[in-house]
Amino acid sequence: MKFLKIIFITFVLISSANANTIFYLIKIPNLEIYDDTAQNGLKYLKAIKPFQVGIRDNNVSCSNPKKELLEKKYRSIRQNLDKYSYDFLEKINFKYVVLCKNLSVSGIEAIGFSNPKMKTILIDIGINTYDLGRISHHELFHIINENFKNIFNEIDWKDINEDSFLYSECSTCSENFGLDLIENQNGFLSEYSKSTPSEDMAEIFSFLMTRNSKIATIASSDKIIRKKINFIKDNIYKIDKNFQF
Amino acid sequence: MIKKIKQTKSEKVLIIFISLLAIFSFIFVFSIKNKCLFVKNNDPSKIFFENRNNIAILNAECGNVIIELYPDISPNGVKNFKELIKEKKYDHVAFHRVIKNTLVQGGDLEFGRKNNLNYTYLGTGGSGLGLLNTEISRTFNFTKGTVGFARTNKKNTEDSQFFILLVDAPLFNEEYTPVGKVLYGLDVLKKIKYDEKSEYVLRPDFILKFRMLVD
Repeated sequence: MKFLKIIFITFVLISSANANTIFYLIKIPNLEIYDDTAQNGLKYLKAIKPFQVGIRDNNVSCSNPKKELLEKKYRSIRQNLDKYSYDFLEKINFKYVVLCKNLSVSGIEAIGFSNPKMKTILIDIGINTYDLGRISHHELFHIINENFKNIFNEIDWKDINEDSFLYSECSTCSENFGLDLIENQNGFLSEYSKSTPSEDMAEIFSFLMTRNSKIATIASSDKIIRKKINFIKDNIYKIDKNFQF
Repeated sequence: MIKKIKQTKSEKVLIIFISLLAIFSFIFVFSIKNKCLFVKNNDPSKIFFENRNNIAILNAECGNVIIELYPDISPNGVKNFKELIKEKKYDHVAFHRVIKNTLVQGGDLEFGRKNNLNYTYLGTGGSGLGLLNTEISRTFNFTKGTVGFARTNKKNTEDSQFFILLVDAPLFNEEYTPVGKVLYGLDVLKKIKYDEKSEYVLRPDFILKFRMLVD
């Protein structure tokens, strides 16, 4: 009981003073609507001041981007996320995209972050335009994965890899965060794919959404990647049989 | 023998000035203590309503908030809301979550009662009658004055808690169940106690009475 009281009082003390209706909705302060006209219902929000949410090791912080940068990079994110229909986004429970700069998660620099509970992804718009699109799909996949854990079974996924391969303990435990498409795939499309099953799935999905034909070529000569692609596609079709990669 | 000394003109002016200053000071101190001084209290008996059956009157410290309920948009939600009002369940329940000039939330019947306020769980309680399904309208706009059912992060967790918007909130469209809209009395809601540093209020204000216009 005392413990609960301490938690409540702590919560009261740390609650943001810059609360507004967006904070009420997704628990991130200092945001305002950037674009809420997307046909698929996605709402794009921008940071108007730096913000930090969460405490200690579980904090996410980000700052407000300049208007010119936002205008330059927004189109790419929007074009990529416009590929998803309203119905699909409803099914996967995803609605808000936060655009900010200098994103960090638990003190580690990040380019994207998803919060499935709040139906939100955060994207650092400071990165290059191609990666922005891919990161958008990557983070969106984490929302899918979290809401359909029973479908995207990690044990089944691990079985696709060679027996000798082991993932890292966590997504930030790996020493190599490389997101570029690697030459000798041997079952993995990027170095970051090797971090965790969830990141590996998200990488396959995001490459499928951005470089479909290139990935099809790779799959023709890499049995593991072919199986992984089929795993992702089959399970996405279980959520929405009309989904288009 | 004491001679009467007449006040000079300037002394008379000074005395009048000091007297006026004292009167104004008294009025000023009185008025800042009374937060409701400039808030208009709406008397529903003096207002014509087209659909009297859907008018609810929330009475707070600074006066009446007159709300029109929307059973056509959220039939189950409004039915439940009306029942709780008719059973006087909302009387003396806290406005526990208030964002200055943005939103007020109350209706925790379990932990928000004045005589049994439980700060540990305040905001987590309901009516004890079970949860309601979210009723989404794709055409309804959550504008200033809209009353909606509050819920957890998940849909279909609505119960007795409700919020009233003091600003337009387009992001609430298709998210929350609309219950109705404030016709008169937004100024009353702006006077509800808030905390500058937190959206949760210690020693909150309470709903004094909540009634349907026609029982």
